[in-house]
Amino acid sequence: MPENSTTLAKPSALERSLGKVPEEFRPVYEGSVAFGPSLTVERFRYKNGLTLLCCEDDAAPVLSFHTWFKVGSRHERPGKTGIAHLFEHLMFGETEHLGPGEYDHQLEEAGAETNASTWLDFTQYTVNAPAGALPLVVELEAERLRFLSLTEKQVSTEKDVVANERRYRVDDDIEGATSELLWSTAFREHAYHWPTIGWMPDILGFCPEDCTAFYKTYYAPNNATIVVVGDFKLTDLLTRIGTAYAPLTASELPVEDVHPEPPQIEERKLEIAKPTPTEKLVLGYRGPSLGDFDHVAISVLGEVLCGGRPSRLVKRLVHELEIASDVRMSVGPFRDPGLIEISVTARDETTAEALLAVVDEEFERVKQEPVTQDELERALARLELGMLASLETVDGKASTLGFYETVLGRPATAFERLDAMQKTTLSDLRRAARTFLRTSARTTLFVRCAPEAEDSEAEEPETEVSDAAPEAKGEVVQ
Amino acid sequence: MKPKHSVIRTTVRGVPLILETSHALPLVNIAVARVTGAAQDPEGKAGTSRILSRLARRTAGGRPLQVIEESLDRLGASLGSDVSYSATSLSGTVIARSLDKFADLLADAVGRPSLDITEFERLKRETRAEIIDGLDNDRALGHRALRRALYPNHPYANTSAGTLKTLAAIEHQTVVDFDRLVRRRDSLVLGVSGSIELEQAKALAERVIEAVPEGQAPKDTLTDPVIAEGRKLIIVDKPERAQTQILIGLSGTQPTDEDHTALHVAATVFGGTFSSRLMQEVRVNRGWSYGAYASLPIDRYRQAMTLWTFPSKDDAPACAKLELELLEKLVCDGITPKELNFAKKSLVRSHAFSVDTAAKRMSLALDSTILELPEDYYDRYEERVSAVTLEQANAALKARVDPSRLVIAVVGTAKELQERLQEAIPSVTTVEVIPHDSEEL
Repeated sequence: MPENSTTLAKPSALERSLGKVPEEFRPVYEGSVAFGPSLTVERFRYKNGLTLLCCEDDAAPVLSFHTWFKVGSRHERPGKTGIAHLFEHLMFGETEHLGPGEYDHQLEEAGAETNASTWLDFTQYTVNAPAGALPLVVELEAERLRFLSLTEKQVSTEKDVVANERRYRVDDDIEGATSELLWSTAFREHAYHWPTIGWMPDILGFCPEDCTAFYKTYYAPNNATIVVVGDFKLTDLLTRIGTAYAPLTASELPVEDVHPEPPQIEERKLEIAKPTPTEKLVLGYRGPSLGDFDHVAISVLGEVLCGGRPSRLVKRLVHELEIASDVRMSVGPFRDPGLIEISVTARDETTAEALLAVVDEEFERVKQEPVTQDELERALARLELGMLASLETVDGKASTLGFYETVLGRPATAFERLDAMQKTTLSDLRRAARTFLRTSARTTLFVRCAPEAEDSEAEEPETEVSDAAPEAKGEVVQ
Repeated sequence: MKPKHSVIRTTVRGVPLILETSHALPLVNIAVARVTGAAQDPEGKAGTSRILSRLARRTAGGRPLQVIEESLDRLGASLGSDVSYSATSLSGTVIARSLDKFADLLADAVGRPSLDITEFERLKRETRAEIIDGLDNDRALGHRALRRALYPNHPYANTSAGTLKTLAAIEHQTVVDFDRLVRRRDSLVLGVSGSIELEQAKALAERVIEAVPEGQAPKDTLTDPVIAEGRKLIIVDKPERAQTQILIGLSGTQPTDEDHTALHVAATVFGGTFSSRLMQEVRVNRGWSYGAYASLPIDRYRQAMTLWTFPSKDDAPACAKLELELLEKLVCDGITPKELNFAKKSLVRSHAFSVDTAAKRMSLALDSTILELPEDYYDRYEERVSAVTLEQANAALKARVDPSRLVIAVVGTAKELQERLQEAIPSVTTVEVIPHDSEEL
């Protein structure tokens, strides 16, 4: 486990479990870490580089089996955008030993549900299953990692599905369209410039060879982490995974070719028209990476500013002035510096400029005057509640572990962050405000109401104003 | 193997209390439900139940809204209102250490709301803005249009939020009068789960119901809605749509129908899983829509079975036609033994995820009470599904699903779609085009 995790002593019961695994399939135990007040996560690594995180939780006879790959849209290149996401779709198709639809059919018959998502830094697959279905889950997950078929027909049909998904999540969706435009404008060099779902011409241009090359390069055991949370027996799990995944060989992963984004030194402004009843304001400030010390501070500040009705922006815009119906703020949880996004929906005839004036005023205020201790404590309590609530299900726990392991290499970071948040001071918040909420490092998008505004098929914008993608860089369901 | 849990049912001053203790996380979930919902909104004033519930939350004990919100945040608590056709609930989650103070707030929201007129006016303006924002949500527009056409002259035609027109008709006095009518102790049901023991839960229930006037709210006198004959096509006209939303509604069942579970199994074969006929034909084989689903929602009165796809504008006519053909084939030929076996196994085994947390188990027990179902309704779910035979599933399809009697709601750009849809869909009896920003939606 990483040095800043709380490493526990290797328990003897665990040693016994490991000892029962046949030697040729036995992984190396790498350590344990506490995951909240009552659970422990153990990490193992198999000979081919496959990482396994497991967390026994027998509160219900179910388990969640996740496979996380360190490949997302950041690993793509211009002209081939969207392949990580398209490939995620293809993983539900035929394999050498499974006919069309058989993967889902067998798992659904076992009472399991499957899903997947792709984002900037990762691709992730979920199987939530009754505990008794573990042997089937391991067998099928290993099967598609070893024997996936990538035929012309499969690729062609799935491209159509993805094109439809793009229309649904981006082209006909105000939020998706504005988010895509915001990111493609704020980032010019870095791979975060393009949307995870990809530009439409790129999606339609993929061929089976592109997909095969991607599969061979990135879907390797040394680029994957399996996370299992729920009701299982450790020896059984270690043996099954060892046996099923052992034939996979490690690949030589390409050196990342991501270009760091130069600092933004002047505001970028855009205006688009959409068939929407009210104007919208969308802002993107250049923010910290997830592993940055200040990510915690700006996240807490985000709660103070925009976390519920008593937060500063919601209180001013929605409650007191009644010029907005909705205000949201999020801090990008990415490996490289991302965006701090703010979106505000106007009420009635209010203009986006009027909304911006209030946002600017409030941001200036947090830079000049410290927020109150009471505001800080309220924000921390909200964040604690949200974190605890996200851990109610086995899937919630597996998602949290897999995400932090894949992006930061530290699976229990959720609790480390909670600890760090509790130590956040008023000074930290003011520093974060002054560091990140700078107009010169901002991209500003005004959305006007235009029932008959011109439309365009989404492709890489050549100018700053374009039309194109998504609900969070393409969180995609199969 | 059964989960290690037990839901406790008891009463406090005659009010049902459902509890499941679990110390897995230091959280407590509480729901205070009243068995009166949007179906009882006053005539022409759809949205009243929702306004009342939100107003009660915003004026708990006469506190100003900002004081309530700040208190909730400080406690590490959430409190929301939820209105269905059959019930109105205030439900929340709190970090266990703050339970006592949270109970004070909740008791005031349930028993001592001031229903302040200034807050009412503000809430009404906010609700109006939310309804306008809803114009950006094509799927929601499709659902509104579908309900309106499926259930004319029945409260199920409305959504719980109402429309701009019905919202405008709601006065402060409407809400005050409605509150007097429905806020009655004998119409309450409480559900509690999480890090809390029985005695604590009983004490909590005592506090929450203490100030609620005794007696019972009037019961509704509704009947099941009847779906009109013929195939009705509704186009919700919205500019610049690259894609459409297609919703098809037709008769369904309710839990008290003898053939409800049989139809539930058949509907699962048709559109309840990724392996279903609809998903395979629409998405997997043709790539027409990212999703293709059929659902059979339940309520106190019979709800419609609903199909949902979202193809591009180019594929929409062919997709709607295909869906209807698949539906006709389903009713005519029935499902196969293999499909039945698959659906039953899938439903029975996946039920584990409906009951894998204390909060979910409590919620199901609460639902069965609200819908006046047997206490063990959800406990016996697996048994009921396992018992469905091929004959029962196919008989339910023939008896309940009538492809000649349905509504097809399509959200898209009418000038690009109307003619092609009418050509593609056989036996359409009426066509209506509604602007997406109509006050009726």
